[in-house]
Formats: sequence, C-alpha cells, structure tokens
Amino acid sequence: MLFFRHFSKRLVIGSLTVVVFFCLSMTRVVAKDITIQVWSGGTNVNDAYRIDAITMAADILEKEAAIRGETLNITVDGKYDFDGWGGFKQAVTLAAEAKKAPHIVVTGHGDIAPWSQSGLIRPIENYVDFDSWPLNDLFENLVEISSFEGTIYGVPQDAESRPFFAWIPYLKKIGYSNSDIRAMPEKIRKGQYTLYDMLDDAKKIQDAGLVKPGYGWYPRVSKGGDYWQFYQSFGGKMMDSKSGKLLFDRNAMKKFYAFFAKAVEMGVTRKNHIGTPWDQWYSEVASGKAGLWHGGTWHYARYTGKEGLKGFFDKIMFSLIPAGDKNGRANTITHPLVYLVTNRGSEADAEIAAQLISIASEPRINTLHAIKSAHLGIAKSQMSVPLYSNDRWASEATQRLLPYASAQPNHTGFAPYFDAMWKGLQAAWTGQKSPESAVSDVEAELRANLGSDIIIR
Amino acid sequence: MSSKLGYIFIAPALVLAIYFFLTPVIMTGIFSLTNMSTATGITGGSYQITQSTLRNLGDQGFERKILKRIGSESYQVSKSTLLAAKEAEVNPELINELRENHLGESFKNRRLFERFLKTLDNRPRSTRALKATSPHFSRSLIKERFESKESFNQALKGLGLDLTPEQIIQLNEMSYTGWIWTLENFRKMVALPETKTNLINTAVYVTLTLILFNVGFALVLAVTTFYLPIKQAKIFRSLWFLPRITPSVLYVLLWKWLAWDTGFISAIVSNFGITPRNWMLDTAANAWVFVILINGFIGASMGMILFSSAIAAIPKQMIYAGEVDGANRWQQIRHIILPQIKWPILFVSVYQTLSLLTSFEHILLSTEGGPGTSTEVWALAAYHKALDNYWGNLQYGYGAALALVLVVVGVIMSLIYLRFFRFHELVKPPRID
Repeated sequence: MLFFRHFSKRLVIGSLTVVVFFCLSMTRVVAKDITIQVWSGGTNVNDAYRIDAITMAADILEKEAAIRGETLNITVDGKYDFDGWGGFKQAVTLAAEAKKAPHIVVTGHGDIAPWSQSGLIRPIENYVDFDSWPLNDLFENLVEISSFEGTIYGVPQDAESRPFFAWIPYLKKIGYSNSDIRAMPEKIRKGQYTLYDMLDDAKKIQDAGLVKPGYGWYPRVSKGGDYWQFYQSFGGKMMDSKSGKLLFDRNAMKKFYAFFAKAVEMGVTRKNHIGTPWDQWYSEVASGKAGLWHGGTWHYARYTGKEGLKGFFDKIMFSLIPAGDKNGRANTITHPLVYLVTNRGSEADAEIAAQLISIASEPRINTLHAIKSAHLGIAKSQMSVPLYSNDRWASEATQRLLPYASAQPNHTGFAPYFDAMWKGLQAAWTGQKSPESAVSDVEAELRANLGSDIIIR
Repeated sequence: MSSKLGYIFIAPALVLAIYFFLTPVIMTGIFSLTNMSTATGITGGSYQITQSTLRNLGDQGFERKILKRIGSESYQVSKSTLLAAKEAEVNPELINELRENHLGESFKNRRLFERFLKTLDNRPRSTRALKATSPHFSRSLIKERFESKESFNQALKGLGLDLTPEQIIQLNEMSYTGWIWTLENFRKMVALPETKTNLINTAVYVTLTLILFNVGFALVLAVTTFYLPIKQAKIFRSLWFLPRITPSVLYVLLWKWLAWDTGFISAIVSNFGITPRNWMLDTAANAWVFVILINGFIGASMGMILFSSAIAAIPKQMIYAGEVDGANRWQQIRHIILPQIKWPILFVSVYQTLSLLTSFEHILLSTEGGPGTSTEVWALAAYHKALDNYWGNLQYGYGAALALVLVVVGVIMSLIYLRFFRFHELVKPPRID
C-alpha cells in the first residue's frame, strides 16, 4: 500500500512534469503568429468582403488549427484604397521588386501571365486541393481563366459581366410595348437587334427630346475591357486558340472603330465623352439622363445604392451587348478578379495564405460578397444559397449573361495590344484619325511591338 | 591645401549629384539596353518550359521530335523515379507502398498522378506535401520552374535525349524567364508611329509654353509690376506665385472644375445657349490650350521673380536719363530694360527648356495625354510605358530607353546653350577690379 502510494505520487509528479514539458514544447514548436497582408485592387466600400472574407477565413483556420492542437494566430492586414487600377498594379509590382509584396493580392485575371513569368506569384494549386470542396465546386470556365499555360495560379474571387443597358421609360416613349421590351434580351441574343439598330433608337430618344444631345448612347468613360466586346460584336477574336497567339482582325477592328465614330457623327455620343468623371456618369445613367449605355453587373449596387434608384427592373433593361453585323455575335465579357498568392514569405506562409483563400471561397462566404457588391457567384452551389437565389439581380444576371460570357486572354503580350487598341479607338472616336488610318496605325504599332506574338489578318 | 579644402566643401554637393543625377542616369542607360518588364522581373529569372516556349521553338525550326518529348507530360512509378524520390526524402512508407503495388504504372499528367497518390494508404496529408512528392516521378520538364541553369540542364539531361550543345543553348535561351540585353527598344522606338507624334507634341509643348509664358508672360509681369508702386507690385507678384506653391493635384483639380461639362465655364456659357462640354478634352486644340495655361501659369512666376530683381538692379539714373530725353514707356522697355536683362532672359530660356522637356506631372493630372494621344509628350510616354499599365505588365526597359533619349537631348542642348550664350564670358572676372 505504502509502495503503491509512493508509486502513485511519483507517477503523478512524473506525469505532470511530462505534461508540462510537453505543453511547453508544443507551444514552442507549433504556436505561429502571422500577419497576412491582403491588397485588393479596384475595390471600394461595397467590395469590402474581398478582404473581410479573408478575415473570416482566418477565424475558421485558427479554429481548425486549435482542433489539431496547434496554436495559430493570424492577423489580416487589408488595404484597398489605391489610385485606380494603374496605381494598384504599380504598387504591387514595385513592392514585389522590393520584396515587400503583400501575401495575397486581389486583381484582374489578366495579371496572371506577366506575374507568373516573373515569379511574382506562386501557383495556388501547389498549396490547396482543387479536387476537394470548395474548390471543386467552382465554375470550370472561371478556373480556366485563373490559369496560365495549364497551371492554376489563382482562385476566382467574383464573376461579373458587362451588359448593355436601356432606360425603359424612354424605350416606351419611342414606341416599344411592354412585351417588346420583355422580348428584347432574347432578340439581342439571337442577333436580330444590332448595334446600328441601337444607334437608331438612341437617335430617336434624343430627337424626342428625352435626353440631351450626346446622351443617347452613353458608353463607359475610361479604358476598360468592356470595349473588346464591340470588337467581338463585329466578329473579332482576341486570341487564336490553336496557336495560343494573339489575334488582330483588321476588318473587325475597323468596324468597331467606325461604329463609335458613327455614334459621334450622329451626335448621340459626345466626341469628348472619354474622361467624363465617373461620379457624374453614374448619377446620370441612374437618373434617366442617358438613354442607352453599357456598364457592369456590379453597377446594380451603385445605381440602387448610392444613386438611390428605385424600381430598377421597371426602369432598366439589361442584355448582352448586341451583335454589330452578321459576322459578329451578341456577347459579353467577364473579367473575374482572382485571389493570388505572391512570392512573399516562406512556403508555410504561402500555404496559410492559400488556405485562407480557399476558405474565403466557400459558397456562403463568397455569396456575402456577391450580393453586397452585386457581382456574380463563382461556384455552382451558390444558386442554392438562399441569400443568392432569392436575389433577383444575381439570379437573373447569372442566367441571362454568364453562359455567354467570354474573357480576355491571359497573355504577356495582351497589355501592349490593349494599349494600342485603346489609343486607336480614342483617335477614331475624337475624329483625330479616320477609322481606317487608326486601324493601320494600330497595325503598325502591333507589328513593331509584338512581332510574331500576334497574328494579323 | 586650399584646393583640398575646396574638395571638402564641394563633397556634399558631389555626393548629392552622384546620388540624384548620375546614378539614375546610369541606371536608365542600363535598363534601356534590356527588355526588362514586370514579366521578366528586375532581379533575374528562372528557367521554365511552357507550351508557348515549345511553340516558339517549333517556329524557329527546332526538332519537333525532341519538343514533343520535352512537352509530353508523363509521370511514372519506376525504379529510377523511386530512387530520386528516396534521395529527396519522400516518406519511405509511401515509397514502399508504390514499389510493392504500383511499380511500372504511368500517368498522362500531373493531375491524374496526384489524384492517384491521394488514393494510397500512405498518401501525403497536405497539398503542399503532395506537390513536393509528385515532381520526383515526372518524366518531362513542362510546368517545372528551375531556379538555376544548372538544375534546368540537369533535368534536361535526365530526359535521356541526345541534344547538341547548340540545342541546349537554344533551350536555355528560350526557357529563361528573366531579362536579357537587347537593342530592341531603340529599334522599336524608330518603328513605332507614336514616336513621331510624341516628338511633335513635345516640341509644341516646350516651345509654346516657353515663349508664351515662361519667358513672354514672365517679362510682361516683371515689367508691368516694375512700374507699379512697390506695395501693389508685391501683391501682384505674390498672387502670381500662387500656382507654383499650390500642391499640383489641388491646382490641377481647380482647372478641372473650371473645365468639366458640369464646371464653371459650362455653367457660365450655358446662359448664352452654348451646350455644356468638357472644355479641357473637347478637341486637341482645347487640350493644348489648357496644358499650356496650366504649365505656363506655374512657369511664369520663376521668370517674373528673376526678371523683376534684374530690372530692380538696373541703375535708376539710366531710366531717369531716358525720361529726360523724352523716351516713352515702350522706348524705355525696348532700349533700356530689355538690353540690360539679356542674360537673365537667356538663363530662364535655357533652364526652362530643359525643365519643360522632362516635366509631365501636370499633363498627367489634367489630360493624361488625351484626347487620344494628342497631348502625350515624350516624358509622359516614358512614364506610361514604365510605370502605368492597365494589364499589369510594366515595360521598364522601353520606358528607360525613352527616358534616355531625354537625357541625351538635355545634355546636348545644355552644351549648345553654353557655347551659344558664351558662358565663359559670363563667368569671366570683371576687368575693372
């Protein structure tokens, strides 16, 4: 008995010592404090969940670690107030050169090509499993857009599309019936209502005195991927899928430029429209000062939020961008933002960053962003998240636009191609050059700049 | 001794000149001879074979059979791959399991192989471990990123291909992701149509701003304030100093408010039935008027100050003598003041030409080179290429080449000016002393 008591005392002390040492050693080995920096481009208050979702994910990841007996403390340090997209990309690339990039960036998928070549970003597929939930539930085309040369670099953060909008009360005043308006998206999709029909309607709206001159057709006011839609409307393609090279279709480009030159000539678009302040533009299109325009699905949040538009669905019709002529097709472009993991920190840090991104992409968390910012979902199962499916805008826009959406190519040469297209468009738009000479200047520039990276026809 | 002391005194200035002028110029020169961009990075690259590398090699006439071999992804469980995995300290239990049950199996691509690994009893338990395991079983180079040429060539060797040294060099060159030395930027500069436009824009911008404002208007201000009572003159001069001391962004914003289609000008002229428009960006001519006004109002103040003090230094007797002789104001200006301030005028012309050549911030803030590219001057183009890109690929090399042209033009012009204005005569010791 004495022996047993003695033994048990020693046993207790011994095991306590072991436990204490074990705990101490465990905390020393596995406790990890890490600050994950997230920089998000093109983001304003409505899109705060791009960063907040990572914070929510950090909470979940910490709890998962705790269950495994590890201590993980993640601090998420988010930043989104950059000077436009240009300022954001400048900040990220220069920070990366100085080895001070944030761990996670939220940016357009187009950056994947140059940034992966330079090693600025790491392939996310090396850290998280795309065969398991939630990543196996993502739309395949969005995962494709987040990849480059067969490697998945990013996780789509949101999807969107850039529709054509029309102010319904004015359509009615120029003779459209309710059923005409209801049938319009389908008619546009089938190519029965072209961009030139659209210009005629813009003219009618203007001539009826419903909007001021130059407000009949009121396009985007700054450079953007939206403009490639009009190139596609006339049958243009940006990339040759067979050879993987960029593609410049001279004829389609000329028709695209001529369309905007025609709009200016008819007086339905202002010659100096590019450069109009965004705030002014938003308030005008959301209050019926413009007849027809094009924008993004995320504009819904701005129109009905800050601009105070009531009864969106009775006032605004939305559809694909109409076809330009018989060669073209009605289309829309989606420009998903992606979460990317940069080369900052150790492999273990990158793994944590990737895991946070994966959790932040779970349908319920992503739906918070999708609905709050009026973007479209990234995963199939979001249609069964009530917050998503009960939202009229999200479900209608997803069905009407997303199946027909294409994306701009991930190609390191696309930046100069985009610059050249934009310069040419501005020259034709402002009447500085005829569409023909603008196109030949673009062609000369592309030949000098991209050489064999682009097929010109 | 005294000459050594001189060096000590000049040392801080020398250090600053080296740091702020010479180093950037040298760096610009170096960058301009490369194809540096975001895609290549600045600090060096890696070796990576992608589908487009293979396509480009194919276009160059590289042997297709070899390319096919390099490009075909295949993952094998073989004795040699198991050995490689063992050497790389992959979990021995996993290696045993593979050796016992799956020797000889092969997989078409990484995804299939990794899916297979995930079905094993001793599967790697994290994606990172899985990704660290699979490369050892790869029999191809595609999608692998090698940090050094040696490791790349080692892997190339491992494919068991019979490559000539030339082919290896070609593969190295084409798979390198970093920057290389090249004269391509200058060839491109000559070939691009925009070069001519930017050149003409720069000439227009510098000439008009200089003649109309930095010298012309500055002279008008200096002379008119000279004839004002001192107190009023001071007030006017301070007013004209405001554009220079207002922060650029705020200053340009005021101009934008003035010119926007909901701005001041539109509001005023709409009373006369003129439709509102963006006065700054309406036409190329409008944009030029604004660009020159915005820059000129700032530039004028410097000339004004220099000319005013130079005029104040003219002996009053000469003016009085002129008046006694019946010279009117214009004659006084023409025959007394202007000849006396010849050197300040020359100095301001030289200094402002050089500074206008490289200044672009107010154009960037106001028209951003628009409408179209009608106000895109050389320095702004260099900025746009090197530091501003919507699609994430900044072209440091080409931007530097553009900037280098400015440096060269600046240096040449300085030399011409020094010669033309007989600088050595200016700094000669006066003969009277």
